[in-house]
Order: sequence, then structure tokens, then C-alpha cells
Amino acid sequence: MPLITQVAEAVVAALNAATFSQPITVARSYLPRVELADLKMLKVTVVPSSVTVAAASRSQTQRDVAIDVAVQKKLGQEQNLSLDPLLALAEEIAEHFRVKRLDSFPGALCVKTEFKPIYAPEHIEQLRTFTSVLTLTFRVIE
Amino acid sequence: MADLLAQGAAWLEQQRTKHLATTVTYVRGNQSVEVAATIGRTKVEADDGHVVRVEFTDRDFLILAVDLVLNGQPSEPERGDLIREGPREFEVLDWRYSDPYRQTLRLTTKHVGATET
Repeated sequence: MPLITQVAEAVVAALNAATFSQPITVARSYLPRVELADLKMLKVTVVPSSVTVAAASRSQTQRDVAIDVAVQKKLGQEQNLSLDPLLALAEEIAEHFRVKRLDSFPGALCVKTEFKPIYAPEHIEQLRTFTSVLTLTFRVIE
Repeated sequence: MADLLAQGAAWLEQQRTKHLATTVTYVRGNQSVEVAATIGRTKVEADDGHVVRVEFTDRDFLILAVDLVLNGQPSEPERGDLIREGPREFEVLDWRYSDPYRQTLRLTTKHVGATET
């Protein structure tokens, strides 16, 4: 299995094992696509994003593996009361991985978390859907 | 002097409602009303700007403005209202009058799944 896929699988396992403020369903996908109608339930999608390879030393290679985690849900209402818990969940997920090694792939250390975007205003406007994408970067040195 | 264009437009809208419409249920919260609606533009679209490609069906409904009576009061559409067409449910995202005499509403909706009862 490719390195990035192993890391993505480990992220899925870590998310499934964790307890957040609201229950989540996590799926890994190479070609993530979803019907708007299926977003009535909160959905978390893990997607391999990119790998940056650099020399760590004369004998070691450093790979920064980026994994995207998308948090999505169709909104009942467009008020802060509905949006705040979803954004909080995205932050909880980010915090869960901060400077942490993945249990099922201990060689991967989370060195960076980025929200790209923290939320998508156009999805709220055009789809009445919350979308937040978190990019986790794991460093693997072998 | 009578506005012949307005009268003609009203007659056309009556004909559209009579011959080119299906009955749908317009829902806002606990309130609902059955209205005759003409199915307008329908297309499948996708937004893939944020990692996950979201696919959806856009559909426009044309209804007479006077038919939209909720809780006994003439009403204007609101974002988040639902239109139930058989087993399918559409969510109102936007609306506008579709004629200069404000007789017909064009409701822009997206399919959001099966009707929940």
C-alpha cells in the first residue's frame, strides 16, 4: 500500500477511535463525491492530498504527507447556533492530531494543521451546506 | 383603460397552471399548502471546489403568487422552505417574480432527498 494511503488509513482509524462532541462517520476516498441529499447526516471524508519528499540526512528521506479531512453537513438553519458546533468539531479534529503520532502508523508525526478553508461561504450560500476542509501534514522520516 | 398586456399575462398564467402544472406541497416548518406548480429548468450540477465534489439537482418551480398561503396568510417564499413533489423533497434557495405583473413566483431549489414523514 502506498505510504500516503497508509497514513490516510491511519487517520481514518484515529478518527473512528476518537470521541468528539458529536458522532462522526468517516470514509477514505480517492475520488470523493457526495450527493447533496446524502449530507443530511454529518460526513467526514479523508482524502490523500500530496507528498513532499526531501533529504533528511545522507541516509534518510523526509516525506511530508498531506491528508485532507472534509467535514460536511447540510444545514437545517443558517444561524450561528447550527454553524458553531460544526466549526467546533473541525477544530476538535485539528486539535486531536496536533503534534501527535498516529497509533496505527507511529512513524507519522503530525507537524502542521491548516484549514483550507475554515469554512466555505459559497457552500452555505448556494447549497445551505457546511463544508470545512482541514489539511493535516504528517512527517515520515525513513 | 384596461391593461391588455396584464390581462393577457394573467390569462396565460391561468392556462399554465391549468394545463402545465402538477400538484406539489409547499412546506414551511409545520405549515404546508398544496399548490399547482410548473416544473421549470432542471439540471444536475456539481461543485468540486473543496476536496469533495458535491453533486446536486437544481430545479425551478413556477407557482402562482396568490396560491402561496401559509397559516391563512399570503406569504412570500423563504430560504429553507421545502417543496415536496411525490417522494422527493426540494429546498428553496432563492426566488423571484417571473413576470412583470408579479403573478408568478420562480422558486430556485435543490434536491435534498426523500420526503421525511
